Amino acid sequence: MLVLGAVIARLLRSGGFGMFVQQHMQYPLMAAAVVLLIFGGYEAIAGVREERRDAASVKRSTGPTIGWLLMLPLLVLVAVAPTALGAAAADRVDAYTPTQTNSSYSPLDTSKGPVEMRVFEFLDRALWDDTRTLEGAAVRLEGLVVNDPDVPDGFKLTRFMVSCCAADGIPLQVSVHAPSVALPDDTWVVADIVWRPPDQPYHSPGGPSSVEADAVSVVEVPDAPNDPYESPY
Amino acid sequence: MSAVDRDATAAVAPSVSDNGEPLATNSHDHHHHGDTPERGYGPWILVAGLAVALLLRDRVGWLSDTDVRLWSTLFVSVCIQALPFLVLGVVVSGLIAAFVSPEFVQRIVPKRAFLAVPSAGLAGMALPGCECGSVPIAGRLVAAGTPQAAALTFLLAAPAINPVVLVSTAVAFPNDRELVLARFVASFLTAIAVGTWWARRTNTSLLDSVGHLHKHREGKWERFVDVASRDLVHAGGYLVVGAMAAATLQLVVPRSVLTSVADSEVLSVLMFAALAVVLSICSEADAFVAAGLPQFSLTSRLVFLVVGPVIDLKLVAMHAGIFGRRFAIVFAPVTLAVAVISAVIVGQVIL
Repeated sequence: MLVLGAVIARLLRSGGFGMFVQQHMQYPLMAAAVVLLIFGGYEAIAGVREERRDAASVKRSTGPTIGWLLMLPLLVLVAVAPTALGAAAADRVDAYTPTQTNSSYSPLDTSKGPVEMRVFEFLDRALWDDTRTLEGAAVRLEGLVVNDPDVPDGFKLTRFMVSCCAADGIPLQVSVHAPSVALPDDTWVVADIVWRPPDQPYHSPGGPSSVEADAVSVVEVPDAPNDPYESPY
Repeated sequence: MSAVDRDATAAVAPSVSDNGEPLATNSHDHHHHGDTPERGYGPWILVAGLAVALLLRDRVGWLSDTDVRLWSTLFVSVCIQALPFLVLGVVVSGLIAAFVSPEFVQRIVPKRAFLAVPSAGLAGMALPGCECGSVPIAGRLVAAGTPQAAALTFLLAAPAINPVVLVSTAVAFPNDRELVLARFVASFLTAIAVGTWWARRTNTSLLDSVGHLHKHREGKWERFVDVASRDLVHAGGYLVVGAMAAATLQLVVPRSVLTSVADSEVLSVLMFAALAVVLSICSEADAFVAAGLPQFSLTSRLVFLVVGPVIDLKLVAMHAGIFGRRFAIVFAPVTLAVAVISAVIVGQVIL
């Protein structure tokens, strides 16, 4: 238990937990790590004390054998080096389409260059904003490259939306047309893009199935952001 | 099952064979006598396991395979995500074991099942956790003398209808507020129905041995720490088993097979029930997954939200661990059926 608490604490300090769970989970995890360390410390001290008292008759067990399976996630962490959700995971799940949540959208201030935005907000504005605040505006998104036959002259800019842990991750995707860009899957990019309004409305039969945009510039980022996922909150 | 766990299990396995203990046993007394020598071996197994893991890394090609890495991400994330709730759960269960006497329970819990069951359901609202935490609590409630039916009702109600879960459902479905109500009602009904079913069973011997503790330490706080850490290790071990199964099935069954059944209401209800069991997503997160599948009817997604918190792969593993395997075999299908029926009926009425 000491080990478990220490590993959690380490993951928290290094920020490595970000690929598994949403940022807001760090506080409950912190509390859990503290409790684990206290319990573990207590058990260790009590164990040593009792062993000293009489080693023969009072033998304690920390618990059932099945408990050693708790070490399995740690071993997997060491052996496999898990990655954050990326192209492989995006292939397996249908992309998320935001449902209508806002009735009005604030205008975008493009005077200071491209507007930084979450992928979710971009999709939301593209799909539901009747006042078309997105039209003609350069927007800056950060996400992963996922190459897809649906977008032969570009890629799907992808960011996973994770509400609790990576197991509930759903991809948010924008089809970015960028003929001059050829990057491998799972490259992190900051892309300045302009929304390409659809020929037919999104929510009509025969309407487009994805939100499209033209790239102004696509810049590769060497490292994944500290928080690789977007939160739905 | 992926080969990863096979290897890692092999590293853990010596503790099983050395002391001759079966891996999955529900006989608590067996452990609590303190006759298991794992304490001595444990640290060495851990060190050996780490060494094997380090050796394997970078040498075995398939360990860096995309699917294996994705599997490990899913597996570890389910474990990490559940841990805080599990810790909260065992803290409460430890407090129950240390400070709540059977006499006290008998005083406050109504004698008759038809009163005890609904009040246990309502009590579930007070625990802001998800399903992993409520399993050890229910186990300790039974041990503390709570009527079994009431404890089981609590087990099912707590993760489904607490405020955190309802709020996250409301956030995920901003335009379908009635879904929050429907989730509350259907989950509550499920818990009550299963509790009532258990209360009417004549053969309740399945749970007789649950949480039987031998006092080998004096002092309430010592007992608290003792029970809490034991429950944590116990339930946590089964959580790991469930998480492995869930991660594997998430990989093997692509979520996109869903799209093929969107047209049939009956099929999609069944599909969502199966999905809830397989994915084993935390009850605080499942609403967002359901919201991400807008091509399905609200009723079929309600089934997903009602089934997930009461029964899924990791819960079956944990029930088997805490309450015994025979109990889990009886309990799982009944709960699943009741949850599906209740969600469909409530969906017809409210949605």
